[in-house]
Amino acid sequence: MKTIYIMQKEIRESVLTPKGFLWYILTSIILSVLSYLFLTNSELSLLDQGQMLYMIMNFVTALGILIGLIFGADAFAGEIERGTLESLLLSPVNKTEVAMGKLGAALINWGIIFAISLPYLFVVCKGGQNLLFGIVYLAILGTLLTITFSAFSMGLSARIKSMKNSLIISFFIFLLAGSPIFLSAALRGTWFGRILDLINPFADAINTFDSVVIDNQGFGYQTGRVAIICGYTLLSLWFLKRSVSRLEM
Amino acid sequence: MVIRVENLIKKYDERTALDGLNFTVEDGDIYGFLGPNGAGKTTTIRILTGIIRADSGQVIIEGHDVFREIMEVKRLVNALPESNGYYEWMTAYEYIEFFSNLYEEKKSKQGILKLLDDVGLNGKEGHLIRSFSRGMKQRLGIARALINRPKLLFLDEPTNGLDPKGRRDIHDLLIDLNQKQGTTIFLSTHLLDDVERLCNRIAILNYGKIVRAGDLREMKGKGTIEDIFFLSTKEGAQ
Repeated sequence: MKTIYIMQKEIRESVLTPKGFLWYILTSIILSVLSYLFLTNSELSLLDQGQMLYMIMNFVTALGILIGLIFGADAFAGEIERGTLESLLLSPVNKTEVAMGKLGAALINWGIIFAISLPYLFVVCKGGQNLLFGIVYLAILGTLLTITFSAFSMGLSARIKSMKNSLIISFFIFLLAGSPIFLSAALRGTWFGRILDLINPFADAINTFDSVVIDNQGFGYQTGRVAIICGYTLLSLWFLKRSVSRLEM
Repeated sequence: MVIRVENLIKKYDERTALDGLNFTVEDGDIYGFLGPNGAGKTTTIRILTGIIRADSGQVIIEGHDVFREIMEVKRLVNALPESNGYYEWMTAYEYIEFFSNLYEEKKSKQGILKLLDDVGLNGKEGHLIRSFSRGMKQRLGIARALINRPKLLFLDEPTNGLDPKGRRDIHDLLIDLNQKQGTTIFLSTHLLDDVERLCNRIAILNYGKIVRAGDLREMKGKGTIEDIFFLSTKEGAQ
């Protein structure tokens, strides 16, 4: 129950404020522009609906990861710098409950972004054969990746205790995680690109999206990649628990 | 006995912050914990409230071992940290309500309003914390620290940065708490005025060690509090 109260506080602080709302407005604007281009641009409108779906799914997942990383970076370092963590820890709550409340708020944020993306997915990819499967995979893998990256970033935040440094490292991780999007096909083919693809749960997610919505492959083909993402999620949660248990002011 | 501290040691890398600290605090005391900056006052309070761990030693509060039964201790004590931050986007009422929800026994709306009234913030419950002066924030911090009606209240430099009226108001509030509600107060400060006005027993800390402790009235028989403080910290340094 205490976790719920902490989550409510986090949601009020970061979601139900004008600044928090800006995220959603920006998400809507970018998705609107993308959708408009997909439907009206002479070259993009020739794309298969599966490919449009795939591109929007990648974008929405990357946004979930980015917001999770930013939430995570602020989680402990931000509270320490603002001087609010000590009074929180003076209450009869343990650090894991605080971490779970903050993680819950990051997940709610992801849920809102996912909900915002749904109408765009339905409009742009209407009638596409794998739309519903795509949405289910986006919901599951997006949630797992948000947990993974938020928990990892929160763990870092608890260890580093500096908001600026936590944010820098989080953005660096975002660039590495987003390498399948940011790197050209040629770079992705090099040893560096291949290693990044191999160790990157985001790469596993977009390869799964590709397999589901473009190649029409069933769940049997996805189990390995989904298992790897689940493994990363568990590893991040373990890292978070270990980091907060060692947290000292 | 409310607090018993035995041979408490805390090191930060090579620096020894607390070097075998021993002291006791009795029920109903306003215990002044004095020392120059960096003497180890905040570290002691953080260990006693379970915020950080000690390297060795024992702390018993109200019969509970702080290192083993921290949740029981947190239900019995509370504290106002030195650099207490606030969720500035909340109102005073929301702030108290949020912290009250973290305890088993939640406060009713009336209970929250009474608490704010007790610290002199009546009529301010709907105001955003960001609009509060430093003195009002300290009062709100004390209200937060009184949510669980603590038997023991730790205050770390509570009057730092306040104007004379703000300091006087906080003094009156603490005297009231101690005399009417029987709250034992552990007051860390380097302001000797605070000590003279509030405390019945004191300990002077220097370089992580208690260099003098005892009844304030008895000590004052041997000189002013200022003389005692400077002499003790000079001796400790040697």
